[in-house]
Amino acid sequence: MQNAQQTARVGLFFLLGMALIWVTFETLSGGKILRDKGYQIVAGFDTLKELKEGDDVRMAGVKIGEVAATRLAGRRAEALLRIDTHQVIKEDASAVIITNGLIGTAYVSIDLGSDRAGSLKPGAEIRTRNTPDINEVMAQIGDLGKKLEGALQGISGAFAGDSKSPGLVQRIDQLVTDNRENLSRTTANLQLITDKVNRGEGTLGRLINDPKLHDELVAGVADLRSGAAQAKSFLASAQSLVDEVKSGRGTLGTLVFDQKAGDDLKASLASLRSVSDKISRGEGTLGKLLGDETLLRDMRSLLRKADRALDGMGDSGPLTAVGVVANGLF
Amino acid sequence: MAAETSNPPEENESILTSAPRQAVRPFLRVLEGIGSCLRLLLEAARHIPTLPRQFGRFIEQCYLIGYTTLPIVAILSFFIGSVLALQSGYAAANIGPKQFIGLLVGLSMARELGPVMAAVLLAGRVGSAIAAELASMKVYQEIDALETMNIPPARMLVLPRLAAVLAMMPVLTIMSDLVGWFGGAIVAKYTHFISIEPASYFATMRQYMDFGDVLNGLVKAEIFGFAVVLVCCNIGLNTRGGPREIGASVTRAVVTSLILILVLDYFVTKALM
Repeated sequence: MQNAQQTARVGLFFLLGMALIWVTFETLSGGKILRDKGYQIVAGFDTLKELKEGDDVRMAGVKIGEVAATRLAGRRAEALLRIDTHQVIKEDASAVIITNGLIGTAYVSIDLGSDRAGSLKPGAEIRTRNTPDINEVMAQIGDLGKKLEGALQGISGAFAGDSKSPGLVQRIDQLVTDNRENLSRTTANLQLITDKVNRGEGTLGRLINDPKLHDELVAGVADLRSGAAQAKSFLASAQSLVDEVKSGRGTLGTLVFDQKAGDDLKASLASLRSVSDKISRGEGTLGKLLGDETLLRDMRSLLRKADRALDGMGDSGPLTAVGVVANGLF
Repeated sequence: MAAETSNPPEENESILTSAPRQAVRPFLRVLEGIGSCLRLLLEAARHIPTLPRQFGRFIEQCYLIGYTTLPIVAILSFFIGSVLALQSGYAAANIGPKQFIGLLVGLSMARELGPVMAAVLLAGRVGSAIAAELASMKVYQEIDALETMNIPPARMLVLPRLAAVLAMMPVLTIMSDLVGWFGGAIVAKYTHFISIEPASYFATMRQYMDFGDVLNGLVKAEIFGFAVVLVCCNIGLNTRGGPREIGASVTRAVVTSLILILVLDYFVTKALM
């Protein structure tokens, strides 16, 4: 009985141990022994950098295989990549070696390629791209640092100045020192103005503080707007008028654009001119009327006579006047 | 068979009596030990076909070597893992890469400390017991009695132990590894100047470790365990004299085993790289 118990314990112990080994194996290596062998493709690089056997091959970050072997092939280095059977790599996909952090682990990253491209056959060669080595990048960063330092030195020189010319800071300092009084006065004035504005004094203050003024302003703007609208409509009618004139309609239009009317007008003006010439020469009745002195004298004497006659009429009384008027009327 | 086992010591005695040869005596004893171990191994290997018939003895030895050794291995590994995490955390606190504590503890336990600690405890706990048992059997002439009955001690006493240690060492080692890892994880989480989450501790372990590292440790443990049991059996069976010699044999067996473990460790590690 005790023997059987001992056997059972040992059996359990052994099985437990084996189970733990299996679990560790699955966890750390993902059960590699049971995995399919997949297929291999070749990737050629100028340098494999930190890449070594057993490193991951990833597509879009997902592990799809590993580096089966690395070798030198003529003037380049080749990595044999073992890819899981069900993973398809497109013909136009390209591989690149990614160095993962500073401690020097690396993996091969393959991009997805285009949708329409065919898939890579086992044993085929994949396109590769070379990326800058971390050391190169570091060297570039070093150069950049030097440049930055130079630039910063220039800036600080501009600020601090040298023995010959004072720097920016010194100049600003001088400016402030020289104008301290002015500045403080300006500041005091500003203070005064803002105080007034706050208290609602002055136009600006009222504008800011008085709601009524604001309403008026708004109303004023509304008026302006309606005025502008009216002006617009006026302009529109003016425009239509001009259009009508242009099209030769109406009197003005005819006048401006009708050739015949123009000619008529010219002829009329010419005859008017000849009439006025005649008048100014004293020809004709009107000319004589205007240019002859005797006619004026005659007129004067005539008027004097008429005046006298009227005076006489006034003396004979209003009845006579009524009679004269009635005579005149009937 | 009886003549075979008793002959070499007599020959040695005759060689070592002369004065000039006293100087090379320790050297000769090492060679003698290696030789008798190999002879014992070959003799035991000759009886491998009888192993199924000795299943009961095999199970008994498995019980003693594996099952009863587990608690002490677990306790020791837990603290080894913890102290590794603590020390590496202390070292890393000023440098920065604390998440690699997981990797450091994982690799150290799996490749080195797991197998070595399991083997050291095996030597201390099981090796001493084997040496004491076989030495007393030899001193009280039970071995002679077995030989008289044409039962070779290599078959009945050595072979089941060697088979049992081969079966049990991987189990002890993997448990030592796992307990050490978890010990490290606990310390890494609850020590204020480390405080790494177990998830990140195990993530670095998973990312940078391979089962090959664990397998490496298991292979080492098999070699250490096998060597420890073989040496202890050999020293026990070669005990001569009275009961006082039993104690001397035990001491010798343990000391030899420890030295052997560390010497083998170097060479096996180098060979497995």
